[in-house]
Amino acid sequence: MPRLFLKIYLTILASLALLVVIVGVFWHFSSDDGMHHPAVGLVVQLAAAALPPAAAPVADQEQALEELSHHLRADLALYGSRNEFVAAAGHPLPAPPASSNSGDWIGDRHGPAFVFDLPDGRRLVARAPHNTHPPWSLFGFHLLVAAIAVGVAAFPVARGMTRRLEALQTAVETLGAGDLSARVSVSGKDEVASLASSFNRAAARIEELVAAHKTLLANTSHELRTPLARIRLGIELAKQTLDPKRKAELERDIAELDQMIDEILTASRLDTVKDLGPKEEIDLLALAAEEASRFDNCNVGGISAFVQGDPRLLRRMIRNLLENASRHGAPPIDIEIATNGGKVALSITDHGPGIPEAERERVFEPFYRVPGRSAAAGSGLGLSLVRQIARRHGGDAVVSSTADARAQIVVTLPSASGT
Amino acid sequence: MADRILIIEDDPRLAEMVCDYLGEAGFQVLRAATGATGLAMHEARGVDALILDLMLPDMDGLEVCRRVRARADTPILMLTARGDAMDRVVGLELGADDYLPKPFEPRELLARLRSILRRRKASATSRILRFGRLEVDLDAREARLDGEACALTGHQFTLLVALAERAGRVLSREVLMDLMKGEAPEAFDRSIDVHISRIRSVIEDDAKKPRRIITVRGAGYVFAKAQD
Repeated sequence: MPRLFLKIYLTILASLALLVVIVGVFWHFSSDDGMHHPAVGLVVQLAAAALPPAAAPVADQEQALEELSHHLRADLALYGSRNEFVAAAGHPLPAPPASSNSGDWIGDRHGPAFVFDLPDGRRLVARAPHNTHPPWSLFGFHLLVAAIAVGVAAFPVARGMTRRLEALQTAVETLGAGDLSARVSVSGKDEVASLASSFNRAAARIEELVAAHKTLLANTSHELRTPLARIRLGIELAKQTLDPKRKAELERDIAELDQMIDEILTASRLDTVKDLGPKEEIDLLALAAEEASRFDNCNVGGISAFVQGDPRLLRRMIRNLLENASRHGAPPIDIEIATNGGKVALSITDHGPGIPEAERERVFEPFYRVPGRSAAAGSGLGLSLVRQIARRHGGDAVVSSTADARAQIVVTLPSASGT
Repeated sequence: MADRILIIEDDPRLAEMVCDYLGEAGFQVLRAATGATGLAMHEARGVDALILDLMLPDMDGLEVCRRVRARADTPILMLTARGDAMDRVVGLELGADDYLPKPFEPRELLARLRSILRRRKASATSRILRFGRLEVDLDAREARLDGEACALTGHQFTLLVALAERAGRVLSREVLMDLMKGEAPEAFDRSIDVHISRIRSVIEDDAKKPRRIITVRGAGYVFAKAQD
């Protein structure tokens, strides 16, 4: 059951319970004060008139009390002016404490009884007819029934209120998970309804922006590469007048610029696009060997291990690892592919100074450079892309430590065979 | 007679340079800066091949491709930005014969252009595996680098096909030997490694730093999927 609903409903129930307790306590203490009412004077006068004087024999008094009890259908007891028992009729009643005043309630567990002081000093104790339950417990019972009725009636109200919030929550989660077309139906005119329509507006705006961003990315990629293609052609056309060494350098510069554009666009694409397109089964050892062939003094070893993934992104990941090792580390670079219980691990080790313990997480942040190292070329996205790509494929990338404190990065990916 | 090529590209400077480059290579080149002009020129003048930019000011390159295909089977080479994997699939589905990402290697543009022209003239069902500037023509049993045939023995060509058909996978020497079974007995008198180094010497730019057939120490060979 949803927590918000429980909270609201339990709050209602707790308020009801508190109300019952407070009302009960007030009732209890206010009724303890007794019956301070003009009616007390009347009862006293009537009783004084109906009873024989105090000097009359006890039998007469008993007789009169019997008659009075019979007419009133009440239990009665008469006490002398020194609070001594004189006579009683009906069920037994508690003796009045000497300190009690006229109109006080002195009820026991059988029910309430009241003390009345007669003008001649005698005291009369009376209990209302057929009222064996204390009045506060009856009142409490009614209070409880009312509280339960309110509590039951509040259930569908609270449920209805939170159901709309739940629908909103589901929509927010769907949006967060990347389905930008998620919307909620708006019903009513309260705050929840206005929140729902705000959400719809925000979601529509996000959808528009992301669509615009995607178009921009595609255009940028094209716009930036057209001049690069021009430069590349220009070099080719100028080959008669160009020194081969200079030409090779220019070609390398273009490749580097092209790569940086690719990295920046890939990073944006990974941030905004949920579905990366078709996946293929890829031999990681073959891919690593292919990429390593672009670098000098780089050894690839291990076993053929297959992963499911986007070939372009995985190629970019391995290339970035190699470039990172050759820029910031020292040759030779070793790549090792191993499998370990449903996972494929690619570890790349170089003979450079290693990565200080404190920097091991930070190297995966975009544009981060290890302090004190030269600002080598690159977009600064290299390792951050490595981790992003690994995570997109259900794996991760971490800096690990080798026995001889060399720089080692390990990428783990789920194996395609699952074993 | 020189092949007539129409380039539909909205960037005038790039179009001009491609013109110059292809002109040097012996082609006759026409230029159009919009999809509409390009389509009109294609209809009026009759061309042997089209080089088509994916992004044009008036319409999508894919749309131009679809319209050309609707009335003619002129070979089409599409220029895209690198990484538009979806565009490539859609472009090829719509009938483009090949695609080349910008910034392209000029020699590769030339090789691909020659390839689509040759294919159009040859049978429509010819099977060619392409890796950058390298083509492995299964029907002609010929490998071509930059459009030039490579000197390989029949046995070496079979070994190259075995590798190329499994590009991107590590193949051990044992697997390669198995794939070569049934071939001429020549297969057994020299080791696989010798054949590989012979193939490398003709298809690699630098046989000492191979990029197409790569050795994986202790495992075997990989034929690179992405070349050039």
